[in-house]
Amino acid sequence: MTAPTLGAATAAVPPRRRSTSWTAARRVVLRKPGRVIGLGILVFFALMAILGPYLYPGQLAVDPESIYAPPSGAHWLGTDFAGSDVLQEIVVGARYVLLTASLSALFTAVVGTGVGLVAGYHRGLADSVLMRATDFILTIPAFPLLIVLSTVWSFANPLEMSLVLGLTGWGGVARAVRSQTLSLRERGFLEAARGLGLPTRHIIVKELLPNIAPYVAMQLLLSVIGFIGAEVGLFFLGVVPFSSSNWGVMLNQAVFAGGAMNSPEALGYLLAPLVCILLLTLGVVLFLDAVDELFNPRLRERS
Amino acid sequence: MTDTVQLTAERAEAAAEVSVRDLTVLYRTDQGELPAVAHADIDLPTGTITGLVGESGSGKSTLALSLMNAIPAPGRISSGSIQVNGVGDVTRLEGRALRRVRGRALGYVFQASQNSLNPLKTVGKQLLDLGRAHDVQDMRGLVRRARELADEMGMDGARVLDSYQHELSGGMRQRVGIVLALVLNARVLILDEPTTALDMLSQAAVLEIVRKVHRQEGLTTLVVTHDMGVVSEIADRLAVMYGGRIVEDGPATEVLQRPAHPYTRALIGATARITGDTDTARALPGRPPDLTTVPRTGCVFRERCPLAMDVCAETEPQLLTWAPDRRRACHADPATTAATGEGA
Amino acid sequence: MIEARNITRTYRTRGAFTGERVVQALRGVDFTLPRGGAVSFIGESGCGKTTLGKILTGLETFDGGELVVDGVELSTVPQRRRASYFRRIQMIHQDPYSALNPTRTVDQILGDPLRMRARQTGDRAAGVVDRAAELLELVGLEPDGVLPKYPHQLSGGQRQRVVIARALTVDPEVLIADEAVSMIDVSMRLGILGLLRDLRTRLGISLLFITHDVATARYVGDGGELHVIYRGEVIERGPTDTVIQSPVHPYTQCLLSAVPVMRGLEEPGPDRLVPLAALDERTRTPGCLFAPRCPFADERCTAEHPVLGRTGGVEQEHACFHPVPRRVVAVETV
Repeated sequence: MTAPTLGAATAAVPPRRRSTSWTAARRVVLRKPGRVIGLGILVFFALMAILGPYLYPGQLAVDPESIYAPPSGAHWLGTDFAGSDVLQEIVVGARYVLLTASLSALFTAVVGTGVGLVAGYHRGLADSVLMRATDFILTIPAFPLLIVLSTVWSFANPLEMSLVLGLTGWGGVARAVRSQTLSLRERGFLEAARGLGLPTRHIIVKELLPNIAPYVAMQLLLSVIGFIGAEVGLFFLGVVPFSSSNWGVMLNQAVFAGGAMNSPEALGYLLAPLVCILLLTLGVVLFLDAVDELFNPRLRERS
Repeated sequence: MTDTVQLTAERAEAAAEVSVRDLTVLYRTDQGELPAVAHADIDLPTGTITGLVGESGSGKSTLALSLMNAIPAPGRISSGSIQVNGVGDVTRLEGRALRRVRGRALGYVFQASQNSLNPLKTVGKQLLDLGRAHDVQDMRGLVRRARELADEMGMDGARVLDSYQHELSGGMRQRVGIVLALVLNARVLILDEPTTALDMLSQAAVLEIVRKVHRQEGLTTLVVTHDMGVVSEIADRLAVMYGGRIVEDGPATEVLQRPAHPYTRALIGATARITGDTDTARALPGRPPDLTTVPRTGCVFRERCPLAMDVCAETEPQLLTWAPDRRRACHADPATTAATGEGA
Repeated sequence: MIEARNITRTYRTRGAFTGERVVQALRGVDFTLPRGGAVSFIGESGCGKTTLGKILTGLETFDGGELVVDGVELSTVPQRRRASYFRRIQMIHQDPYSALNPTRTVDQILGDPLRMRARQTGDRAAGVVDRAAELLELVGLEPDGVLPKYPHQLSGGQRQRVVIARALTVDPEVLIADEAVSMIDVSMRLGILGLLRDLRTRLGISLLFITHDVATARYVGDGGELHVIYRGEVIERGPTDTVIQSPVHPYTQCLLSAVPVMRGLEEPGPDRLVPLAALDERTRTPGCLFAPRCPFADERCTAEHPVLGRTGGVEQEHACFHPVPRRVVAVETV
């Protein structure tokens, strides 16, 4: 074995591997139609959140002539109490809802995983301290806290909203990640990594993390749904002063102002955000199926 | 010559407790349906212990499971018959009739027997469940029988029935597995890897017990294993599987002494032994095939075979009788397989 | 080179209601493992042999005795610097399926420790790729085919070779193989054992071989020692062939009697003993630990604890009051 051929062979390896992991990911998604639909739904809403405000620049158009109008050519999903286009509200509102939920989910995933990994891997004192903190977080009743906080905090800023939501949510993830880490810790490859003297950071980031990644990714996706529900719920209850047009506010208006529960007129206005939430949930659930295979090389390549 | 061979074959068939004919088991994979066991032909003569040897992926466990017609989901028995004495063709049974046969005619001790007990129930409870599932009227008799068997195996029957799985050692669990397999008076005992994961002493004890129970209960026993040593300890007859095919069978001592298939020879040569020169023993090159990597044409062993010829790539050798009571599936001359092999 | 002196390890578990439970995993084990040498530890499951392996690789602590690595007694070395000593002792795990991270390719599995090692020794990291290929060839694998693969794409035997190659990345002096072939297909076992033997002669690596299967110990341990361990205590030790051919301790004789006889090629040894059932490991006795199971025990055995020594005019050391060599292992017929 001569050095030049080796160099040539390895130089060719990295780019090829990257492309194969992309094609493998594509194959995983294409394997079942449900996953494609799920991914399609997720991409659709992501695009809506990103592009929505650009599609409808400026203020919501108010049209007092057509209040609670049924769906028509001009207003595909009808209009609301002020005669504004429901579709426009949905599209414009998507950014706040999705951004908040995604940021909260990201926050819980990052904090929960970090805490869980460190606690599970180091055990001992670090474990005790971190787990007591986790228990504390877990005992906070999230919803009442949010209601209380909403009196002192403005939730118009997605970042603030997501911070509060995320702060109360990472306990469960941390516990689960910790227990997974504890069981992985006894596996041969981790003992070997310690025996070789590899640095702790390497062990946590490169050996442990990839193995719990599918779980974390699933948690991330599921908590997006959870946070959408929580946040829409807050706005629906009206405990949070509504400062922007979003799906929760729409539900609130439809029920409490539009009387959607007793009259069919505002039904479109009520159903539109509900269906969106349902669709998004469906998208996440359908796509979840692919997550395990995406992260597990053994499942990934099974053609 | 041919006449006598024919005769012995017939006599064997007459005395067989279980006889498998042309059995093919297919598994559905991404590459279509592939055979895990192909055209298997084997008899379990009444009152003998047969050892079925092979590496992982050889189809030995699949063959054992098909005797119970219990091939799990993506697999199915696609052709062939399994005649069990007093029961008929197991492959044609289903539902209630099949369940009755499992347990009453055929007792199966699972591979992961150490884990096949329910951790939340005592052995006694599981015994009663088994009795109920088989509509046993005389539960007291069942318990008495289980105690007898347990005592026979050197365990305290009453104590064992009151124990949970975690209170029993690996060797004890294996024995409990045998008790549960035999408690409904099965005539045929099938043991899948009975000693894997046990240490040497427990292995020896379990083998001793299998031998004893086999003799006292007058059973017909099939031991599935990857370990030549285990087979040579207890088996009267030996069948070797590779790539889903039975490649050789015959009386155990004769096969061990004069293997007639290069794979059998290699497997014996690759077994770590307590005697002999450690320098002459060597591993077999290559790796055992699985469902998808088994050669589709010709001999399944040819890629690792030291004697491979052109014909081996084209025609699959049939399992044929080449000497009294000995069969092999190989194109090479029996004399060469016995002589060479070590030089490979 | 490592030297262990009187290593003991006691586990105490204290339940809230059950009171203290004490398990003595190791009761004073000592041995010397010279460069290129081999010591095999044999015993049944739960005898403490796995704990010994973990202690020697630094994965487990011990509470009595001394461990000397390259002439340095480890308790004199500050905790932080011990890693550099334990680096010299690498473990080959029993289960090649869990010993490799399923999410990483062979390339990464070997590359990371190699890069770390290159930093430690001040070598250029550029040599890492060549070194990985070199190690794979050393363990009998074809580098170009294996490097980009994930563990699940390899057979058990190939994985175990990768595990061995990984252990070699940090230039160890000692390899500890704990049941290194028990989970590998039979046809490939001898290949792994042969490789371990090769590493001894080619690289001068010492081998500590832990197993319940005496037969496999023969294949790696030529010229080495065999230590028989029972309930954490070494009860017989000596040159591998001597202990196998004429064991004097009844426990060793039981272990060796349990090795299957290959009928047709071998016949049972003339003094072969009947396999005996395992006993409750917690039984306490002031005498010989094996006495409750021993077919030859007398009153002295239950009252007095025998110590390892060379009595009765036999070649090996043993801890038995009635040392009688017995030929229990199979005899080759041809």
